[in-house]
Amino acid sequence: MRERQTDAMLQVRNMVKYFPIRGGVFRRTVGWVQAVDKVDFDVYEGETFGLVGESGCGKTTAGMTLMRLYNASSGQAWFKDRDLLSLKGNALRNLRKEIQMIFQDPYSSLNPRMRVKNIIAEGARTHHIIPQGSSANEYVADLMKKVGLSADHMYRFPHEFSGGQRQRIGIARALAVQPKMIVCDEAVSALDVSIQAQVINLLKKLQTEFHLTYIFIAHDLAVVKHISDRIAVMYLGKIVETSAKKELFDRPMHPYTKALISAIPVPNPEAKRQRIILTGDVPSPINPPSGCRFHTRCPIAKEICSREEPTFEEKRPAHFVACHFSE
Amino acid sequence: MRGDEDMENPLLQVKDLKTYFRTEDGLVKAVDGVDFEVFPGKTLGIVGESGCGKSVTSLSIMRLLDEKGYVAGGEVLFSGQDLLKLSEPKMRKIRGNDIAMIFQEPMTALNPVYTVGDQIMEAVALHQKKSQSQSRKVAIDMLQKVGIPNPEKRVDEYPHELSGGMRQRAMIAMSLSCNPKVLIADEPTTALDVTIQAQILDLMRGLQKEFGMAIIMITHDLGVIAETADHVVVMYAGKAVEYTDTRTLFKDPRHPYSWGLMNALPRLDLDQESLYNIPGIVPDPLSFPTGCKFHTRCPFLEPICKEEEPPLKDVGNGHLARCFFIEKVMEARRKSKAGERV
Repeated sequence: MRERQTDAMLQVRNMVKYFPIRGGVFRRTVGWVQAVDKVDFDVYEGETFGLVGESGCGKTTAGMTLMRLYNASSGQAWFKDRDLLSLKGNALRNLRKEIQMIFQDPYSSLNPRMRVKNIIAEGARTHHIIPQGSSANEYVADLMKKVGLSADHMYRFPHEFSGGQRQRIGIARALAVQPKMIVCDEAVSALDVSIQAQVINLLKKLQTEFHLTYIFIAHDLAVVKHISDRIAVMYLGKIVETSAKKELFDRPMHPYTKALISAIPVPNPEAKRQRIILTGDVPSPINPPSGCRFHTRCPIAKEICSREEPTFEEKRPAHFVACHFSE
Repeated sequence: MRGDEDMENPLLQVKDLKTYFRTEDGLVKAVDGVDFEVFPGKTLGIVGESGCGKSVTSLSIMRLLDEKGYVAGGEVLFSGQDLLKLSEPKMRKIRGNDIAMIFQEPMTALNPVYTVGDQIMEAVALHQKKSQSQSRKVAIDMLQKVGIPNPEKRVDEYPHELSGGMRQRAMIAMSLSCNPKVLIADEPTTALDVTIQAQILDLMRGLQKEFGMAIIMITHDLGVIAETADHVVVMYAGKAVEYTDTRTLFKDPRHPYSWGLMNALPRLDLDQESLYNIPGIVPDPLSFPTGCKFHTRCPFLEPICKEEEPPLKDVGNGHLARCFFIEKVMEARRKSKAGERV
């Protein structure tokens, strides 16, 4: 476990989230899905921290656990001076004002029976940003303009908007409570390329304007590379590598990161690249492989890898890797 | 029209294909003018965003449209005959035999109540007139060829027992079991993780070399196009807006939409300050704009674009683009290139 640093806005230490698998007549716990297993990372104020990995690697669970939409099995996450994994009641509600979330699916994350104005204003009213009894119109109109929506549409319902516009509503809703940090969970994955570019540019613009800190969770490495300052790569519930963006792409050290980077099709037919093709599928997080969880697919695995779990070490300045043989 | 390939005859020719759907809200012109040719052993890519008509194009070729859809015009020529005019029994002999298809979601495309082997054997027995034991041997051979471990055992497993990547492999085994001349792959890797996508694309490349079939690769991912296709059709709002060889498309795109799409894409191989914004949204197919379908989002808009539909015209060496003002794209590209170097 890494020591706590004082200058980070969010410091996650040893965060674990297991889901019980219940079986039998008495619904006893018969096993555990080890969705997130002892992850450590820091997020600094004003930066975008990318969390990337393939499906089932635990990136979304990590985000949901930080938002307290799941309760962590163990570990700490220090947001400034509070451990947000152990907050309760009012303290937790106040936290929600500071950390907001944008979801992947702009269809299911907006209440279809609410008008856009109320969707955006609800949080701001709860946290008394819009005083009780006063009209929210001006506040909502201002936010809608900021995210590129026409304020004339505030009385419409979500189904009257396209996917990209709905994602903008979701962004306006998150901004409404004036948060410090926003967790974006696959916020652009469901969108077409031309719309995706619009939303990415919007997120970057808003970050500068409101001095926001983002945790950007996505499976698309190219999108994560574009938007992030630092990146953590997850595999089967573990963070295998963390570093600054440029360092990660110039000098990836973990064999999984290398394979992931090389697997992404590059839109340039002239590019000559050496591709590392991993064999097999991602194992189940219910019975993850012993030792290093990547050893079953690793091209450089040796005997020790199935026996001993590698420690997450700083192998180069600010570049953390969990591998016995990373060079 | 394409240099050294002039020698070879196209295997499949799609000419001015139009597919419309009658819906309660009105007529949807899902495909409204698509032209391309497919050559043996080569891959033709069709790329576009959701709703551009790329999947409907493939369903029209296979004649798998639902009852609301109908082909309103055009031809699909396969070894001299127009597939759109064939009787259903004749079409059935071609479908799955000469032209096979794989789909995006292998879990919904495979029948859950039959084993993988049964589903491969069905096609083989039907089209190749082989006995039960011979078909079974073919099925096991095919599963082996697509890299499924223990094919003798896997042949008797049901689709739900396989992982996503393995299912897509089984799907490919099934489609190739009758040795088709053309394989239509509709977003074959979209539902898969990137490391599995790399496996499947690698497998398809290898099988194409071995079997020599032509592939129509339908995808929204320009990266997949760059890595697999020899020629590309870019579609927008039901129309082919650009058609050329892959290298030319990426080096020298002439249609404002293709150019915009490439610049809107976050890239692993480049450092970009910001992404290009194609303003607006894809138009509603019930009320497509007049004139050029892209005019509502085009940065090079002129009055004529709102009134007249530009033809798909040759802009040099068989490179086709549907735009009145291709020089403007070239100029913008020159400017942005110069800007990058400064």
